[in-house]
Amino acid sequence: AMAGGLEPHLEALRRELRGPAVLSVLIALIVVAVTFLIWRFVQGRRSSRKAVLLLGLCDAGKTLLFARLLSGRYRDTQTSITDSSAVYRVSRDKSTNVTLIDLPGHESLRLQFLERFKAAARAIVFVVDSVAFQREVKDVAEFLYQVLVDSTVLRNAPALLIACNKQDVTMAKSAKLIQQQLEKELNTLRVTRSAAPTSLDASATGGPAQLGKKGKDFDFSQLPMKVEFVECSARGSKGEEGDADLEGLEKWLVKVA
Amino acid sequence: RGGLLAAGTPILTAPLPQERGGNNSFTHEALTLKYKLDNQFELVFVVGFQKILTLTYVDKLIDDVHKEFRDKYRNEFQQKGALGLLNGTFDFKDDFMRLLRDAEESSKVRAPTVMKTFEQSLKSQKTVKCMIEPRAGEKPKEKVKNKKNKGSKKDGTEAVAAPSKASAGDKQLSAAGEKEELTKDEILQKNREEFFRRHMKAGEKSRSPKPDAQKEKGKKPRVWDLGNSNAKVLDYSNSATNGSAEACPVEEFDPDMALGDRNREPGRLYDLEYESDDEAEEEKVVQNPSKPSVKKGGLGGMFGMLKGLVGSKSLTREDMDPVLEKMKDHLIAKNVAAEIAVQLCESVAKKLEGKVMGTFTTVTSTVKQALQEALVQILQPQRRVDVLRDVMDAQRHRRPYVVTFCGVNGVGKSTNLAKISFWLIENGFSVLIAACDTFRAGAVEQLRTHTRRLNALHPPESHGGRTMVQLYEKGYGKDAAGIAMEAISYARNQGFDVVLVDTAGRMQDNAPLMTALAKLIAVNAPDLVLFVGEALVGNEAVDQLVKFNKALADHSMAQTPRLIDGIVLTKFDTIDDKVGAAISMTYITSKPIVFVGTGQTYCDLRSLNAKAVVAALMKA
Repeated sequence: AMAGGLEPHLEALRRELRGPAVLSVLIALIVVAVTFLIWRFVQGRRSSRKAVLLLGLCDAGKTLLFARLLSGRYRDTQTSITDSSAVYRVSRDKSTNVTLIDLPGHESLRLQFLERFKAAARAIVFVVDSVAFQREVKDVAEFLYQVLVDSTVLRNAPALLIACNKQDVTMAKSAKLIQQQLEKELNTLRVTRSAAPTSLDASATGGPAQLGKKGKDFDFSQLPMKVEFVECSARGSKGEEGDADLEGLEKWLVKVA
Repeated sequence: RGGLLAAGTPILTAPLPQERGGNNSFTHEALTLKYKLDNQFELVFVVGFQKILTLTYVDKLIDDVHKEFRDKYRNEFQQKGALGLLNGTFDFKDDFMRLLRDAEESSKVRAPTVMKTFEQSLKSQKTVKCMIEPRAGEKPKEKVKNKKNKGSKKDGTEAVAAPSKASAGDKQLSAAGEKEELTKDEILQKNREEFFRRHMKAGEKSRSPKPDAQKEKGKKPRVWDLGNSNAKVLDYSNSATNGSAEACPVEEFDPDMALGDRNREPGRLYDLEYESDDEAEEEKVVQNPSKPSVKKGGLGGMFGMLKGLVGSKSLTREDMDPVLEKMKDHLIAKNVAAEIAVQLCESVAKKLEGKVMGTFTTVTSTVKQALQEALVQILQPQRRVDVLRDVMDAQRHRRPYVVTFCGVNGVGKSTNLAKISFWLIENGFSVLIAACDTFRAGAVEQLRTHTRRLNALHPPESHGGRTMVQLYEKGYGKDAAGIAMEAISYARNQGFDVVLVDTAGRMQDNAPLMTALAKLIAVNAPDLVLFVGEALVGNEAVDQLVKFNKALADHSMAQTPRLIDGIVLTKFDTIDDKVGAAISMTYITSKPIVFVGTGQTYCDLRSLNAKAVVAALMKA
């Protein structure tokens, strides 16, 4: 009886489908589907990660580095309170561009801006003040730790460069020393951070992610991303008029872009 | 704003990142800095001048500079963004000097005007007659040449000038060049008569007329009204009834009125009756007036809203004010201290003024977004919050890490001290608890009970034979600072990792107790000074923290006094989402919230999650 009831309806439907109106309906549907696909494709293209973030503590030299890379000239700088971004042509022959984004290093602002830009990051340049490093090692390590355990960063695994800035000063520590100290400090930090009292909203994350391999001392090679250390000087050894000493940095940017 | 200096000389780190943008001036060493934000192009204009000078033209100057700079370099900003800032040369020096000169000239004080001599003034042109204002009901005086005759005895119609007027009249007369010589006596007589006449008029209500003091006739003793009467006259009591009970008129004693409730059970204590109806009524009353305005705005507002959605317009103060008002009330309803809510909204307004909104963003959403960012920024700690790391450091240097807990009465210092010592023991550090609360009854016993429980939970066997927690106490009534010092040296000798010092609760207004606390902290130099505050506190939090910090700063001998280093927010489980106390406390001190207490068991210790707190705060 059910089948009998449906039959006349199906007949009516079949008769409808043969009409010319049906064709226009089908075309409309196809157009909508195609537009949808194109839109998704374009969105995918746009959100591809093309940004290089400049992170670091206050007074590490990020803004000056930004200025030097883009214009080659020395500029006086102030503590940034907001981000600056510009397109950077990586090298003269290749036509690839990356967007350099300079984020403020101030304690109250840094995490906010990191949240905003971390999804778009293809590479991260972590600028370290080599002269004040001995004094600031704990703060540097803490910020680096926060960047490294971030879930988005772990998922995308952007290339990481630790730029040891201010090498023009004689008291600056070398990149090797900075690497060793950071590894030691991060080793301690992952123990203390995971032992900290759980956050108020404990349901959000299942606790901070584990950095590196358990049981072994922390090493930068244990991270899912490629990490390199480079020495540079944004001010340049010849003073303000001369060029900056950024070869290592520029070569790395070419590699990454 | 992105840090590039377009023009001028660099200055030291600015206070702008902190959300204290209420007023626009800032003092740093010998300079006062005034700043202005341009939110459209993300620029900051800063003017610095010596603190000792008070320059009145600074505000005008900064406005002029802002306008000129913006107009001159508008293209570069609009088209090229950051690159424009980088590559552009901003040759603003000449313009700036010109504006400065203009501002200086406009504010120069005009030379003090030379005072007109009396002859030049209009006053001397007038005659004396028209200057003397006639008193009501009295005829105006005739030209006074012979005041002597008008003298004393004739009253009534005489327009005798009042004492003050006499002197004024004298002055006028002398000024006018006329010299009248009135003897002192006659002036006195006149004044006296005038005085008495006035008194007579006013004194009609008084019972006994005052006798005229005729001093000419010699001194008469003054007669006071009741002075001569003896005690008998003053005794108004009814002599017949004093002492006897029956003579009192019998009052109608109504037991109902005295006792109130007829149906009460004798001896029972009733609960406090909680009238929630009044509050509901008040709310309704408040809501009703707002409803019609919403309805009215509905239709007209719809078109306005559509207009606002599309197109880019810059935010003005008027647009933001209603939204900010609402946000301020919302914050206050969430237990943020009132003055802090006001300052926050002010700083958000300053940050957003002139900003160009994108399409499809309403004023409300922009303001909410900015406020949310500001709140997260406040809750972000400005120094590291890692107690374990610092304890490890101190361990390496073979000295104990000293933490002091201070706060007002009843906030949960001892309870949270126990929780924190539990957490430290779990992480393998040995703890010495110093009972420096020598005042409150049972304080030492409370800590002893906690110590016993913690030792039961973590017996020495499971930690390599050493007792993880021990109590150092010296009973009641002793000096807290001395006990703390002894405890620290005991810990150093015995090799304890952490010393937790529990102090007595004290009100922030209690000066001697605040001095004692400041002394304890100054003498013992703890590594961490934690202020324990409960999340239930409202506007009081501001007062407490300010006064505690002030006391610590005042009584410390050092150059850089030890202030409060961190905050422990307790009783967090008692508030659902009225988490405003966290904001108030961090705003006042700029110090981070290190721990959050959420209950009374040892595991109820959490760390602050800024995003969760802000989400709870902004929730409707």
